[in-house]
Amino acid sequence: MFYLSLIEHNLHLPPHLLNRPLVDAIKDELERLYLDKVITNLGLCISVYDIRSLEGGFIYPGEGSSTYKVVFRLLIFRPFIGEVICAKLKASDATGLHLTLGFFSDIHVPVHLLPKESEMGEDGIWVWKHEFGDLAMDLDEEVNVRVTKINYPSIPVEQDANAQPFAPMQIIGEIYGDGLGLISWWAD
Amino acid sequence: MRRRLQANAGALTNYEVLEFLRGRGATSDPMGCLGAVTPSECKVYDWLVQTAACNQTKESIDEFLNKAEKFKLAKAEKLNIINLRPSNLAIIDPIIEYGEKRLAKDEAKGIDEVQELVGLVLEVLPPPPPRPEDEMQGQEEMPTEKPLEED
Repeated sequence: MFYLSLIEHNLHLPPHLLNRPLVDAIKDELERLYLDKVITNLGLCISVYDIRSLEGGFIYPGEGSSTYKVVFRLLIFRPFIGEVICAKLKASDATGLHLTLGFFSDIHVPVHLLPKESEMGEDGIWVWKHEFGDLAMDLDEEVNVRVTKINYPSIPVEQDANAQPFAPMQIIGEIYGDGLGLISWWAD
Repeated sequence: MRRRLQANAGALTNYEVLEFLRGRGATSDPMGCLGAVTPSECKVYDWLVQTAACNQTKESIDEFLNKAEKFKLAKAEKLNIINLRPSNLAIIDPIIEYGEKRLAKDEAKGIDEVQELVGLVLEVLPPPPPRPEDEMQGQEEMPTEKPLEED
C-alpha cells in the first residue's frame, strides 16, 4: 500500500533558511510542502524518502530566495485496486460503513458492496443475515476490506457549515466475498 | 514547478516502511518522536506497529519470497500476503485472483496448493502482536483470593 514516487521540483529556498546545512534546509522545505498532503492520482504523501540530486542554487533577479532543482523520492500511501487491507470500523450509517487506518480515515464501504443479505438495525449498525445466523458489524472491529476504487474529488467551492470535512482522497472498498469483512467472522 | 518523473518508483512492504520510520527515530512513545518525525509520520508508525509488519525481519520476508516462487504469484499478491499475513484459507482467498484455476487442488492426489501456501505463511512469517483487548481479557481472569479464615 506504500509506494515510492520520483519527483522533480523547482524549489525556492527562502533566505532565512540559508544559515542551515543545505540538505537539511531543502528536506524541511520539501516536508513543509508535501507531507500530509494528497496529490491527485498519486496518493497521500507520508514522508520524504531520500533526495537523489540537487542542482542550481541560482538567485534570479528580483528574488531573495535561491532556486534549486531537486529530484527526490516521496513515500506515498496509495493501495492498489484489489488490495486487501485490515482497517477499523469507525462509523456506520445508511450510506454504508466508514473505516479508518489511524492515519487515514476516508475508507468507505457503500451499501451495494456489503454482503448480500445485510440489513441496517435501528442504531445504524449493519447486520449480515446469512443462513447460519446473524452477524453484526459492530464499531471498533477490525475489518478486511478489498479496495475497488480510489476517488480524488475536487475541492468544493461551497460547503455546508456542518458538512463532513472535505476528503481529497477517498478509498471505496468492498466486503463482499470469502475472507472479507470482520476478521472475527473468519478466525480459526 | 513540479514534474513527476516516475509515479511508481517501487512498491514497499509495510515492513520496509516501518524500518524506514524507525531509522528516522519514530517510537511508540508520542513525546519521544517529536523532534525526529512529524506527528503525521508518527500516526503511520503507530498503525504499522500493530500490524504483522511489527515482528517481521528481512530474513523472514526473503525466505517467504524464495519458498513462494513455485506458486507463481503476482508481485502484488506477494506484497499483500506479506502485509496482511493471512492465517487461514478463508482470508487468503480474496488476495489470490482466480485461485481455483491457478493453484492446483486435487483431493485424490492429496495436492492442495492453497493450503500449502497458508502453511508457508504460518511457518515463515511471524504472527502480529496480540491485540490490547486480548491482553486485558487475560488479566481479568486472575484467581480470586481466598477469604481469610477467622479464628
